[in-house]
Amino acid sequence: MSEQTPSYEEAREELVAVVAQLEAGGTTLEESLALWERGEKLARTCQEWLDGARERLDAVVAADEEE
Amino acid sequence: MPSLRDATADAPAPVRAVAQALASYIDRLGTVWVEGQVAQVSRRPGLNTVFLTLRDTVADLSLSVTCARHVFDSLNPPLVEGASVVIHAKPSFYPGRGSLSLQAREIRMIGLGELLARLERRRQLLAAEGLFAAELKRRLPFLPTTVGLVTAPGSDAERDVLENARRRWPAVRFRVAAARMQGANSAREVMEALEVLERDPAVDVVVVARGGGAVEDLLPFSDEAVSRAVHAMRTPVVSAIGHEADQPLLDLVADVRASTPTDAARRVVPDLAEELHRVEVGRARLRQAMRAWLDREQSRLTMVRTRPAMADPRHLLDARGEEVRQLRDRSRRTLRHRLERAGDDVHHAAARVAALSPLATLRRGYAVLQDADGHVVTSIAEVATGAQVSVRVADGRVAATVDGLTDLTPVVTDPEESDE
Repeated sequence: MSEQTPSYEEAREELVAVVAQLEAGGTTLEESLALWERGEKLARTCQEWLDGARERLDAVVAADEEE
Repeated sequence: MPSLRDATADAPAPVRAVAQALASYIDRLGTVWVEGQVAQVSRRPGLNTVFLTLRDTVADLSLSVTCARHVFDSLNPPLVEGASVVIHAKPSFYPGRGSLSLQAREIRMIGLGELLARLERRRQLLAAEGLFAAELKRRLPFLPTTVGLVTAPGSDAERDVLENARRRWPAVRFRVAAARMQGANSAREVMEALEVLERDPAVDVVVVARGGGAVEDLLPFSDEAVSRAVHAMRTPVVSAIGHEADQPLLDLVADVRASTPTDAARRVVPDLAEELHRVEVGRARLRQAMRAWLDREQSRLTMVRTRPAMADPRHLLDARGEEVRQLRDRSRRTLRHRLERAGDDVHHAAARVAALSPLATLRRGYAVLQDADGHVVTSIAEVATGAQVSVRVADGRVAATVDGLTDLTPVVTDPEESDE
């Protein structure tokens, strides 16, 4: 997976995997922290994708309504 | 009233009497079947009677025929000048003008049956050859670049196609190739027009349009050469000939058969308003789908984010903090335990030390004798008279001098036990 803004699906898949790993335990504290930080970052990426898509949709609909 | 026979030069009969007599005489004649050719048709608006001139097929003579308008109009194909007919008629005298005519009760076209039989044979021939095969039918383009139109210039058919197509799709482009749609040259001109349109690459559908007419008028559209020309075309052809009931061979060989020129217009171009509506519906569904996807993904993401592992990262630390706390408590408890045990050991050791100490013995009145060097004296052999000794008692020492020595037989033989 590339570090440069993964696609939404990639980010979501990895996020699910990260959470599962965190929940399963068996990692060192340092690893857990790293996982958690990674998860936060992925969740933010996903949210940005969704927000961006929603904004674009709303913008098109709003532009239509102004016509 | 005297009989007309009695009329003389001196006493002539009036016109009305003669006319009435003729009328009544002719009226008694029965009906007759008569064959002839229609030389002239006079169908005046507003009149309920149509006047025909029926000419003998050989001799140069003719009769007037009157026909009720509804009888004339119900003829299919319509009666045209030049047609051969058989008429069931009753001779009738019209006294108003003194004219004789045949009142037609029924008109039958002749020659039509033979004509239709020939057409049917041709149809079967071409069908057997596969010219009408369903798999040869091509789909019309959804939105043609240019519509080719073969029709008579200025005809109703032309106007119907152009107007109706433009009403549905204002931007539609036409290329009209004029051809006479009736008469001897019609078939050739239609083929030439088709050829022109076939060569034009912009034309992606061709309409052949003509209004209704007699079977004879529509003959060019059942012409074998025309049928083959249409069959050979790569451009899809729409046949729009006559009325719903007409079925020239062109209808069969064309890719699409339109019942009328107006119907052809409807088939070659889509309806703008309808298409706009479809686009609008499609757009709405697209957006709806996008929104649904976003909502679904949002809820999935929210679900993952609200899992304890992500939602409350302190939970991570809590678990470990708890672990550390427990370990600390365990270590403290263990240490305390061990300290307590060590205390007990010390106590026991002290007790044992105390038990082993000679102090108790000293308290009971025993004393320990030590010589000047501090050696414990256990035998008279170890000291001499006059020696300085020290006696250890329970609470201190007594300095003494040995005055004398007495040998005593031991009370108990075992020297170990004698110590007690």
